[in-house]
Amino acid sequence: MSNTSLNPPVARQTAAAPRGMKVLAIGVLVTVILAVLPHVADNAFILAIGALILLNMIGALSLHLIIRTGHISFSHAGFMGVGAYACALSVLKLGVSPFVGLAIGAAASGLLALVVGPIVLRLTGKYFVLVTFLLGEIIRLVLVEWESVTGGSNGLSSIPDLHAGWNSPLAQYYIALVAAVLVAALCIRLLMSETGRAMDAVREAQRVTECAGVPVIRLKVGIFVLGCALVGLQGGLLAFFMHYIDPTTFGMTDSLNLVVMNVLGGMYNVVGPIVGAVFLVALPELLRGYVEIQRILFGVALIVVMASFSSGLVGLATMLRRKVHQ
Amino acid sequence: MYAKKLLGSLVLTALGAGMALSVHAQETLKIGGVGPLSGGGTAWGLAVQRGVQMAIDEVNAQGGLKVGDKTYKPELVMYDDKYTATGGRTAAERLVNYDKVNFVIGPIGTPSAMAVVPITNPAKVIVLSDGYAPDILKQGGQNGYNFRSMNSNVEFGPAMVKWLKETHPQVKKVALIVPNDATGQVVMPTLGQTYKDNGYTVWSESYERGSKEFTPLLTRMMAQGVDILDLNLNAPGEAGLLVKQARQVGYKGLIWQVGGPGIDEVNDIAGPNAEGFMSYDVFDFREPSAQKFVDTYKKKWSGVINAQTPGWYNSAKILFKALQNAGTVTDTDKVRSALENLSGYDAGIYGPVVWGGQKAYGVNRQLLNKFWITQIKDGKPQTLTTLSPVKE
Amino acid sequence: MFSAPVLTQVLINGLSLSAIYVLIALGFTLLFGIMKVVNFAHGSLAMLGGYALHYYFGEFKLPYVVAILLAGLTVASASMVLEWLVFRRFYQKMFQSMIGLLGLDIAIVYTCVLVFDVYERSIPAALDSMVAIGSVSIPADKLMIIGIAVVVLLAFWGFMSLTRYGLAVRAASEDIEIAEAQGVNTRRIYQLAFFLAIFMTAIAGAIYAQTYALSPFMGERPLMVAFIVVILGGMGSIPGAALGGVLFGFGESFLSTFYGSAASTFVSFGVVIALLVVRPWGLLGKPER
Repeated sequence: MSNTSLNPPVARQTAAAPRGMKVLAIGVLVTVILAVLPHVADNAFILAIGALILLNMIGALSLHLIIRTGHISFSHAGFMGVGAYACALSVLKLGVSPFVGLAIGAAASGLLALVVGPIVLRLTGKYFVLVTFLLGEIIRLVLVEWESVTGGSNGLSSIPDLHAGWNSPLAQYYIALVAAVLVAALCIRLLMSETGRAMDAVREAQRVTECAGVPVIRLKVGIFVLGCALVGLQGGLLAFFMHYIDPTTFGMTDSLNLVVMNVLGGMYNVVGPIVGAVFLVALPELLRGYVEIQRILFGVALIVVMASFSSGLVGLATMLRRKVHQ
Repeated sequence: MYAKKLLGSLVLTALGAGMALSVHAQETLKIGGVGPLSGGGTAWGLAVQRGVQMAIDEVNAQGGLKVGDKTYKPELVMYDDKYTATGGRTAAERLVNYDKVNFVIGPIGTPSAMAVVPITNPAKVIVLSDGYAPDILKQGGQNGYNFRSMNSNVEFGPAMVKWLKETHPQVKKVALIVPNDATGQVVMPTLGQTYKDNGYTVWSESYERGSKEFTPLLTRMMAQGVDILDLNLNAPGEAGLLVKQARQVGYKGLIWQVGGPGIDEVNDIAGPNAEGFMSYDVFDFREPSAQKFVDTYKKKWSGVINAQTPGWYNSAKILFKALQNAGTVTDTDKVRSALENLSGYDAGIYGPVVWGGQKAYGVNRQLLNKFWITQIKDGKPQTLTTLSPVKE
Repeated sequence: MFSAPVLTQVLINGLSLSAIYVLIALGFTLLFGIMKVVNFAHGSLAMLGGYALHYYFGEFKLPYVVAILLAGLTVASASMVLEWLVFRRFYQKMFQSMIGLLGLDIAIVYTCVLVFDVYERSIPAALDSMVAIGSVSIPADKLMIIGIAVVVLLAFWGFMSLTRYGLAVRAASEDIEIAEAQGVNTRRIYQLAFFLAIFMTAIAGAIYAQTYALSPFMGERPLMVAFIVVILGGMGSIPGAALGGVLFGFGESFLSTFYGSAASTFVSFGVVIALLVVRPWGLLGKPER
């Protein structure tokens, strides 16, 4: 690892550059493969699942940013819901174009995060978890009870496509791919930058980081707002794909799923949520047919992963890779 | 430490090997099924699965389903929708795009049905569903391919309220206690309106779905001086608890349920407190003509028969008849017409098929099933009367 | 609306709600206080207690007191296997415990779906009669629940303050390393605390199942309640669980009766969030050093 305090700044830049190039190369390669995929696997259902995985990646990655600052949020699906409803309402009731609706959705989630963030981010680990747990429930309750605006438990229906004619599974796959790639690029770039290092520092040793001059609370709130805005974007896209949203889509189970994607995949590595999203969406589809057994195996897998390698599947991969190289 | 990690990865790999991809053998006619197979709504999802399976078993025992000049072996491909919109959507996408079915029975709940219909209608897949939201049928319109094969409260509510007015003229004020889920929020205004149209005053209150403690709510109700408590669409478990807790809090008025049904569960949970309880019933399991159905069910499965099972059996039988009338399993336009023109066909448990719903939904795609009103007398359910929805 | 009979009923409802909530929260807070695990499997273990009572009382028709004690003992003993297999890997690792025990919860619930089937069952009531207090009547079994809650709380308090094992458990919860240095066998203490916690949880679950309904999914609400009560009272504090249970029970009774259930839920969540922001260690918990 680089001795950042000893090497002159120029050397530090050069050390970072090849790593950056490597990440970029991998990213471009993966994007190209995913873009070509529909022509190889020409099945509408696989495309639909693919789109779902890509959308969930947005949620998992945006949550990942928040987790890297040391806060595990159990209300992330609630913010997704805020984004989805704000987007759908602005399109259905105010008549704005769908793309503007997406922006409004993201802005709404971000705004709520900005209001709530400074208050709740002062809490440490487990208390933050509990507060966000309740916050997610409150958001869901508001969606259910405020019938006149949100349609209550019956939700909002007849939501149009993102763009006229973009209705096919193929179109939705490409929309999701573009969104996911952009979000992933943003997150990876952020985590590799000075801000990313500050985030890790805040998580690992908050007091010391504060003494080093990093504005801790401002950083945490900023990342929280960004993370929630991004998942609000996912909510808007979901609304345009499903043409229907209701509170059950944004409940505790969905928040839990996003957290588990990060935990199973690897909480402190940006590849973790990507792996976790694939795992958590694809696996239930592969195991259809034996619902109970599937669930039991899933539960056991969670126990095993958490007990044996808390750095998730990515940690397992790193460990295996190290063994191979020995 | 190292050994522990190795063991962990071995276990995980073994688990991975144990998770086999479920393979569907090539069957002749796939019928799709959607319903909750996990979580709190599992009993209803199983009702879809078992009801349809019973119809399929019956057909296969007779040598298959003869459509046109070919004979098919129907097979149910059932997926869990977890009673949510996303679950319904994924299940529908899988059935339509992966299993390539042309016919789907289910889903049950509004969120799921609302998410399924936008996928099945453009793909011209015929759907026979439940779900109380009027939008489910309205959304499809004349060009839609979805039908509703179970009564919603729009169908059975008015007839029951009229019956109440005739048989219990002293009742003036009604209490409606509903969960705040999709069905509850639809039913409360419509059922409330039905009561008001018949001259009753209505007091209504909703609770968070999943709660089981109603004594505060019932205390609140008692202070209103109501004559009858209507449990409408409450699930059987909650209905039983509402009856029991209402009596324990000292409520002495009438209790009935325009919805459900869940009479056996109410009887079981409320015990002696259930005496006098009346309810909408979709099926009379005690009728001699129902015995055959009950026996066939009990040969395969144990436990309480969910009251919705006969309705799904009926739906499958109607679908099969329509396929035979249309003479094709691939041209869904022909099958849709055959379904619409199926009036008069009697599948054996609900009497002749009647389609209605033009006034409420704009299309005649609602199956109007006859229904019963049952009362618990001396600890046992007794049939009070049979009613039919009004065809509008 | 605010008349004497209604208020009396509200009071009695509040009392019986509080009793159940306190019982549910006790095991949860104990596991957190001593082993620092957040037991997401709390609800499913309570559910197992319910099924145990269903068989002992409903099927085998044992006398009620015997049946319920046996239910608690059976589930607690069987859970020792789970303790060895699963729980002990998460002691002192709060966050891993959340997800890992969540996995355990899912596994237990769906195994029960396979074994017991999903339909809701009921357990016959222990006592059928109604007892008249002034102008209102209360079911006798609710009085019994209140009695059980009081007895369990007192017994537990007695154990913790007056016995040597209780002292060891308290020492372990204050500072595990120093306790070990003083010669406390932490492994044994963990096992003891675990057994006690699950015993109480199973009994709470049995009572819950009897009052409401029994199904594999029964445990979801008790878990939620345990969370809220324990946050209110302070995670890890036994008197806190009692106080939190009472506050939540009476609050729900009062608010639901006079303002409806949505208002009750919003207010209770709002209060708990406010408390977490201002005083996260709850009313009777200890602030982090």
